[in-house]
Amino acid sequence: MLPVRCAFQGGTMTERKRIDIVEGKAGHPALCVLPEIEKEDELFEIIWTLREDGKLTIDQIIQSCSLPECENILQDLSKKGWINIKGQAVELLPKGEKRARELVRRHRLSLRMFYDLFALDGAEAEACKFEHILSPEVTDSVCTLLGHPPNSPDGKPIPRGECCSMFKQEMKPLVGPLADIMPGDQAKIVFITPGSHSRLDRLSAMGVVPGSVVKLHQKKPSYVIQLGETMIAVDKDITKEIFVKKV
Amino acid sequence: MHDHGSNDGERYRDSNLHKVLLIGNPNVGKSALFGLLTGRYVTVSNYPGTTVEVTYGNAVLNRTRTLVIDTPGVNSLVPMSEDEKVTRDILLTDRAGVVVQVADTKNLRRGLTITLQLAEMEVPFILDLNMDDEAKSRGILIDQEKLSQLLGIEVVKTVAIRRSGIDKLLKGIQHPRPSSITVRYDDAIEGGIRDITALLPEANISRRALALMILAGDESLKGWLHANLQDHVIEDIEKIRQDVQSRFNNSLGYLINQRRLKKADEVLSQVLSLHEAGKGSAIAFHLGKWSMHPVYGLPILLAVLYLVYQFVGVLGAGDAVGFLEETVFGEYLNPWAAKIVHFIVPVPFLQELLIGDYGIITMALTYAIAIVLPIVGFFFIAFGILEDSGYLPRLAVMVNRIFKIMGLNGKAVLPMVLGLGCDTMATLTTRILETKKERILVTLLLALGVPCSAQLGVILGMVAGLSGLATTIWIGSIVLVMLLVGYLAAKIVPGEPSDFVLELPPIRVPQLMNILVKTAARVQWYLKEAVPLFILGTFILFVGHKVGALEYIQKLTDPLVVGVLGLPSKAAEAFVIGFLRRDYGAAGLFMLAKNGLLDPIQIVVSLVVITLFVPCIANFFMMVKERGLKTALTMVAFIFPFAFAVGGVLNWILRTLNVTL
Repeated sequence: MLPVRCAFQGGTMTERKRIDIVEGKAGHPALCVLPEIEKEDELFEIIWTLREDGKLTIDQIIQSCSLPECENILQDLSKKGWINIKGQAVELLPKGEKRARELVRRHRLSLRMFYDLFALDGAEAEACKFEHILSPEVTDSVCTLLGHPPNSPDGKPIPRGECCSMFKQEMKPLVGPLADIMPGDQAKIVFITPGSHSRLDRLSAMGVVPGSVVKLHQKKPSYVIQLGETMIAVDKDITKEIFVKKV
Repeated sequence: MHDHGSNDGERYRDSNLHKVLLIGNPNVGKSALFGLLTGRYVTVSNYPGTTVEVTYGNAVLNRTRTLVIDTPGVNSLVPMSEDEKVTRDILLTDRAGVVVQVADTKNLRRGLTITLQLAEMEVPFILDLNMDDEAKSRGILIDQEKLSQLLGIEVVKTVAIRRSGIDKLLKGIQHPRPSSITVRYDDAIEGGIRDITALLPEANISRRALALMILAGDESLKGWLHANLQDHVIEDIEKIRQDVQSRFNNSLGYLINQRRLKKADEVLSQVLSLHEAGKGSAIAFHLGKWSMHPVYGLPILLAVLYLVYQFVGVLGAGDAVGFLEETVFGEYLNPWAAKIVHFIVPVPFLQELLIGDYGIITMALTYAIAIVLPIVGFFFIAFGILEDSGYLPRLAVMVNRIFKIMGLNGKAVLPMVLGLGCDTMATLTTRILETKKERILVTLLLALGVPCSAQLGVILGMVAGLSGLATTIWIGSIVLVMLLVGYLAAKIVPGEPSDFVLELPPIRVPQLMNILVKTAARVQWYLKEAVPLFILGTFILFVGHKVGALEYIQKLTDPLVVGVLGLPSKAAEAFVIGFLRRDYGAAGLFMLAKNGLLDPIQIVVSLVVITLFVPCIANFFMMVKERGLKTALTMVAFIFPFAFAVGGVLNWILRTLNVTL
């Protein structure tokens, strides 16, 4: 377990948008002793986000940053060759650029994952923990699982990774709702997020459980799916809750 | 649509006869097998939910007198609807015989989940793989020997509708055994089973199976639990259940089902082999696909409706009725009857009772046999073909969205379409619906707006002589009223709508024999059910006429019938007998129209009113039986005034707009 970032522990923090935190409008720096590396990470994210907004200056960084030792870390990063500071101007050097891109990518993918897959809104704190434990391989898997999403839930672009460019032609999510596959396609049920217990009981009694292979026959006027030799007509709502992986 | 003989059950239940209980998934051929074993016909169709009641029949099997019991199909022995509960209850309370599990060979995976539950119950049973022919034509082969070995029970293969394999089935019935196969659940669930088992009394089925039902959250067990256990024990059991449930995210019912399916897959992987499929089913498959296609589906629906109209409305209500009513009754039977009656019954009063204006022969039998019977017969044939083809559930796919307006879903189309055959049986079929709210709504809509075959035929015969506009106004008014009432009732009746989850059977070529037998059974039912009421109605009219009550009623209802509805005062008679059976009322209107007493607007208005009547006395009793006296009376108290109100409004609109029909 990685240490929890204190910035997210105080009071109503989890309810606020992570992006606010990144931009430094919140935080209880006095309570925090973050590991060095995570402090640096936070600055990289701030730099990346400010650059996207076209507001990248030293003053802005310091204003956005929740850490008291912000200036020192900036100097440190400059010395280590991550960034280049000239007066107010800040520039990411190649290795800094790479680190920041990966960080932001992990962060925004994590947000996307919590938002899409687990349907958790306001789970920013959790998402932030996640971004630090994702290895490059896992990051790409998450990206693929989510279908190489272009934006995080707050609308910010997710920096593309290698996995994304491999699928330039067609970027279909690996796992998605049954409602979204094309009629005629076959898919394997990965998980079901039912609206009610009785719905799940009924579906499972007809063989609709994770692992079953299902074929979508049609979407209009009603959804019709087939499992083995069983053909079942269902509401669209139900097919939105059945997550499948194409086979 | 005939006497299912459920009352026989009371008589047989405690007898010491050998019993054979047919159990299985919906639409696997239990009723076909039942018919084969007992020689007694029960409705066999191609859609799930044909049988909603337990049916008993006597047979001599293996030289032993045996009571064969047909049950509604179940997807799980943890019931989700009333018809499924019927089946589970019979296992729970009424066992002491051989269980024959009927399974659809091509759909064995789902069959096996029932097998596993029967195994858990530790009841002696055998497994019948039915519809073996369909499985073969789809290239699905089941290793019967191996399956028998894995399950530790007799496994036989049959094709019930072709009588094939029955001798082996009979042999198998002699050796039922509890299955040796077991399913192990998650440790926490197993722990719960152990704890609950310790608290349960001895029962017909194993305590383990009962414990699993309880864990799965089977609310329908409540009655049984309270009858067999003390309240504090039930509380303890509930505590255990909640404790186990709290360890999982998903419902226990789902986890248990999932585990069973996994076991079923394990078994299946050892016995199932796939071969190249035959070509025969491809056409049917595509027909099935097109019939619910967003574009082709509609023309197919219209074509089906047109054909049914041509067959029932034109051929049945037109030609066949014309022949029977004018030629057979008009020229031969009624004059003969008149002669014979005059000859053997010299009393004028009795003569009039038999052959007068309100005579039992000249009115009741003429209406019942000459007008309604041919229409009903033609309709039942057309309907039987539709039922057996597997088209009806596909209709549900087409209309699901429209039904949502009425707080229902596409599944409700099954009882509604059945209502076109007979509203009484259709009211019974509401059992296939999952929530009480839906059952109440459909019962109301059936009673209010769905014309039964007899009435439909008479109406078709009447509108056939009018313009297309008249027909459209009649259909439009009824549909509009149903949508409106459904929409409002859905707001008033408490409860939640249920999910639309409906199994679609394969499209099949209807079997001529089954259609004929089914039609014959239904016609017989109609004669038994309707003719006595026709005679009763006629008798009431006769007495009313004799004592002058009829004129009094006409005078009394004139403000309504003549004033509001704009109909001739004689139409009151039709409405009076319409209280008994609305098809009889419609037949009365038919005769009025035929004698030129009604103009087109009057025909349409009177038809709308009589269509909205409660179908018949029998239907009312069924409503009482299924929904309770209070609900049934409330519905009736709403329907009759409402029917007249709609007729009044329609009359006003048509007259005001000066519509020419």
